[in-house]
Amino acid sequence: MKKFLNLLKKEIKELVNVQLIVSLAFTLLLFNFVGQMSRKEVQKAIGVQTISALDLDGSASSQAILAGLESARFKIERIEEKTKEQAIDIARGGESKLLLVIPSGFGDSLKDFKPSQIETYSYMRSFSLIGARGSAIVRGVISALNNVLSDSFLKEKLPGLDPASLKNPIKSKDFVIVQKRMAEASASEVAGMVSSQSLLIPVVLMMIVIYSSQMVISAVAMEKQNKTLETLLTVPIRRTSIITAKMLAAGLVGLLSAGIYMFGFKSFMGGIGGDELKAAASQGGAVMRQLGLYFDTSGYLILGASLFLAILVALALAMILGVLAEDFRSAQSMLMPLMFMVMIPYFISLFADINTVSLPIKIFILAIPFSHPFLVSQNLYLGNYGMIFGGLAYMLVVFTVLVVFAARIFSSDKILTMKLRIGKKRTVVA
Amino acid sequence: MDNVLTVKGLKKTYGKQMALAGIDFEVRPGEVFALIGPNGAGKTTTLRIIATLLTPGDGTISFLNHDFRKEPDLVREKISYLPEEAGAYKNMKGLDYLHFMANFYARTPEEEKAFVDRAVEITELGDRLKTKVGTYSKGMTRKILLARALMTKPVLAILDEPTSGLDVLNALEVREIVRRYVKEGTSVLLSSHNMLEIEFLSDRVALIDKGRILDSGTPAELKERHQAKNMEEVFRSSLR
Repeated sequence: MKKFLNLLKKEIKELVNVQLIVSLAFTLLLFNFVGQMSRKEVQKAIGVQTISALDLDGSASSQAILAGLESARFKIERIEEKTKEQAIDIARGGESKLLLVIPSGFGDSLKDFKPSQIETYSYMRSFSLIGARGSAIVRGVISALNNVLSDSFLKEKLPGLDPASLKNPIKSKDFVIVQKRMAEASASEVAGMVSSQSLLIPVVLMMIVIYSSQMVISAVAMEKQNKTLETLLTVPIRRTSIITAKMLAAGLVGLLSAGIYMFGFKSFMGGIGGDELKAAASQGGAVMRQLGLYFDTSGYLILGASLFLAILVALALAMILGVLAEDFRSAQSMLMPLMFMVMIPYFISLFADINTVSLPIKIFILAIPFSHPFLVSQNLYLGNYGMIFGGLAYMLVVFTVLVVFAARIFSSDKILTMKLRIGKKRTVVA
Repeated sequence: MDNVLTVKGLKKTYGKQMALAGIDFEVRPGEVFALIGPNGAGKTTTLRIIATLLTPGDGTISFLNHDFRKEPDLVREKISYLPEEAGAYKNMKGLDYLHFMANFYARTPEEEKAFVDRAVEITELGDRLKTKVGTYSKGMTRKILLARALMTKPVLAILDEPTSGLDVLNALEVREIVRRYVKEGTSVLLSSHNMLEIEFLSDRVALIDKGRILDSGTPAELKERHQAKNMEEVFRSSLR
């Protein structure tokens, strides 16, 4: 145990170097900075927006539209006594993102119940999604005004009838059933909430797997590159202890790095969404609880076990790939197959449903050990415990096979003679 | 007195390539036994097998009357190996590196301290041991590695080209250190291309080529047998 701890301490010290600390600190700062910047932009977008307006009609109706916009937190900069072309130029020089032109005759058309047209000119000064939000809100306001105007028309023409019932005679009340539970919500809302609830799982898995694997591959490759491996292999410590110490150190440091990364990511997301996201989450939370679509303690334990096994598989695989690498540089390229193995199920889980894909693709996905943590949350919700425990058992088997294989390599000549160069094995003879 | 190491009919192949075709030699207590031969002769393979890095093929290896194959951990406790192209952990300070290595062999903190003190004495690097190994010259690195190999006073030190790449003064110092530790009871199995070094250090020499030992004996015996003035002539004569 003393020897193992000695080695573990050394491995951790080797991994936690100045470069890692600086890179993690930089990541944290960057996330925080971008999050704060985004928050300001979001606040700007949802704050009071300035709109230029040219009212060529001057009727009570056009005034009502502008007043309606003002009550919807828009600041209206009225352009008086100008032509449309002049107004477009004036608004271009200002800060307005939108110019609203109400043509003459607008009020009369409304009175005659003819479709009336207003023109909007959006000034695209940036192409960000947040930047384009102003015009979407204007569309919402116009839609609301349309409702008000059509309601008043219907009330005038058909007094005593509810305009809303006339416009939408068929109403739907949506329910979602998950197994034996039922709640009032639409399927798309629930799917969206499930997806946002499980958003962090693939991100956490990707981060930990990539960080840890990179570390364990580098730890072995650096021993080779710095010519320290031969000496280490002749000291009186079991080869399995060398493997375990390297994997454990990489796992711990990888976990820490991923934790810091996730903390940064959370502050970044918090910066963007802030209170809006929290409010949405609390609204949806009740529906999710009603449908049983949440993790209880056992759910979290199963999810944790799945993530943990995936990390172990990644570390064992990385250990073998590290042995194959000649030096640090080739170790970095060795990481590519591993990253693809994590990314394939990630992207498939984003765009497709594992249960509906064809059998060969399903087998292919399930054969990748890293697919299982992506599927755990979904299977937990649906009560597919066979799939969950099957996945856990499969990952355990893969991990055992890989560790036995890694231990065999470390205990054989291959640790010194096996090298992989773009798909071909080369045996080095001393 | 029993041999420290007895090798009989040792063979080793890499795939279809024969690296050792059955070699026999023994290392006696307190002697320096050298393997000399051209590149690819099988010297490093032999040393790596004795250092437990490579698995032996056919043949037997007996270390202090223990079965080499069955008890590799016991062997590792009593030997030390200095590879030709060895390195130390660059981010570690010299002293930390010595403590790290000593920890694997020491049973108590006192013993660990004794090992490190001995290594500090061997290196003669003084305060430079408080700086990172990455800042050391080749000579300094080689000295710290040799100190690491000798600090535990191993029963058998396996040294592959111990003065490789060193200047004349550093090489001389390294040879003197090796001789000193042999006097204190450590046996040495070494390989070298430097015939002067072989003559200076070795008690007995084996000439190896194509995985076979061609001749062996003390430097004086070999010179007489090959009617040679020095070991370089013995080397040339034996390869003809």
